[in-house]
Amino acid sequence: MDKKRAEHILDNGVKVLKEFLPLKTYIYFPLLYSICVWAVRRIFDLKERVLAWQVWLEPEMVESKPDAFILDFFERTEGVREAFAEEVRGKDMAALRKAFSGLYPVCGLEDAFLLALFQEELEAGEFRKIADEFRERAVRAIEDIKPAGSGQEFWRGMQSVGMEMAKLGIHILTDVQVRKIILDRIRKKVKQDED
Amino acid sequence: MIKPQNPWRSVFPGAVFLTVLLSAGCSSHFKQAKFYYSEGQLRARAYETAQAAASYKRALLEAEKAVQSNPSAQAFMLKGLAEAALEKWPDAENSFLQAFAFGFVEGEEWARDAARLGLSSSLDELGLKEAALRSIVDVIDHAKFRPARLEAARRYVDLSLAAAAGLDGKEKTNALAAVAKTLEKLIDGDFACGFYHYLLSQTESHREDYRKSFEEAAIARELGLPTEKVLRDNDLQIVFIYTQMKERLSPDESKAFEELIGRWTRRWGWRDPLTPGWKKE
Repeated sequence: MDKKRAEHILDNGVKVLKEFLPLKTYIYFPLLYSICVWAVRRIFDLKERVLAWQVWLEPEMVESKPDAFILDFFERTEGVREAFAEEVRGKDMAALRKAFSGLYPVCGLEDAFLLALFQEELEAGEFRKIADEFRERAVRAIEDIKPAGSGQEFWRGMQSVGMEMAKLGIHILTDVQVRKIILDRIRKKVKQDED
Repeated sequence: MIKPQNPWRSVFPGAVFLTVLLSAGCSSHFKQAKFYYSEGQLRARAYETAQAAASYKRALLEAEKAVQSNPSAQAFMLKGLAEAALEKWPDAENSFLQAFAFGFVEGEEWARDAARLGLSSSLDELGLKEAALRSIVDVIDHAKFRPARLEAARRYVDLSLAAAAGLDGKEKTNALAAVAKTLEKLIDGDFACGFYHYLLSQTESHREDYRKSFEEAAIARELGLPTEKVLRDNDLQIVFIYTQMKERLSPDESKAFEELIGRWTRRWGWRDPLTPGWKKE
């Protein structure tokens, strides 16, 4: 894959984001990453996807899980297991149940947007922070995107990033490589502005 | 001699054009609403949750325009359907009542179903769990509006399972058995509804009948589930059952179960029985 070209496309994406969401740099990565994940799956109806994000916060599935299911999630999910080792050992179900409601959508159901939104915490292994801040941050991110989402220009810009990345053959990269390249570009462009 | 010009000669064609344009606009909002609502249903059936929700939102926007410009029973019914799909139950209630006022006979009944669902939410939020549960059971037993019955079934299962978790011994066993019985009755009435099988699978998992839970989850997956979130939750339920069964079965039984689950998961395109296709690498 042409790395230089990929960087150029992502730079354009950051430019669009800076224009429409100048003060919301924390959403750049979740947006660009989701768009790349969808591009691999040949999904380009971005507006529909983003506008429906709040669906993931609705309780449409059965929320009441048995203790065994919750314990199994904490025991089998890498990182989460280590972070909550004490509660798992002591079978502190009250604490585990509380943390589960924030961690399951991110580390269990793995929505691309939520994964990217909590990327820093996931990398740093701060699973307790995800559990504590999940709902508030997810709701805030969706609310922050809404004003930019009302204009067609924003979607055209984002759509073009997805299509160009798909054309480049982004699917040959691993998930880790995709995340790294996007984060590098965002950090570089945001830093340029600050300087 | 110059004849005085008939003012209608110049105004009339314009008026006709305007009327045609306006009525075309009205019917086009209704048509658009119908189109987006149907699209939402198709997307939902294909597990494309996000697109389905977006289509329902568009359908609602168009239906709102349609009821403003040309109110009719159909327009209000469509508005109510889109609102119900987006779980805006109090709005749906109003729309169905309006549809009833315009002659849609079932509108009043649907409005009542939506109202009872809205009421159960309020009761639940106020902490009146038992009253909420009674209201939901009433919707399950009597609702004519299918989306309301599906949503009531989910809430019934969630509330009942949460309540059962606080019980012990025989009381808990009986409470869970009652939930399973209600769901089996719903399945008898609508076997092809994957969502009911998903709810039963979740309930059987609370009863620790993992084999039954697996069967129901597999049927749910085959029949289809309403959203991607539910689909993924159902998949993780299957993974959980797999790990539980492996611990409990004898080596021979375990081998047979491994073969069975392997056949299903290959059919679904999973990498192995622990890794659904949508899991990141």
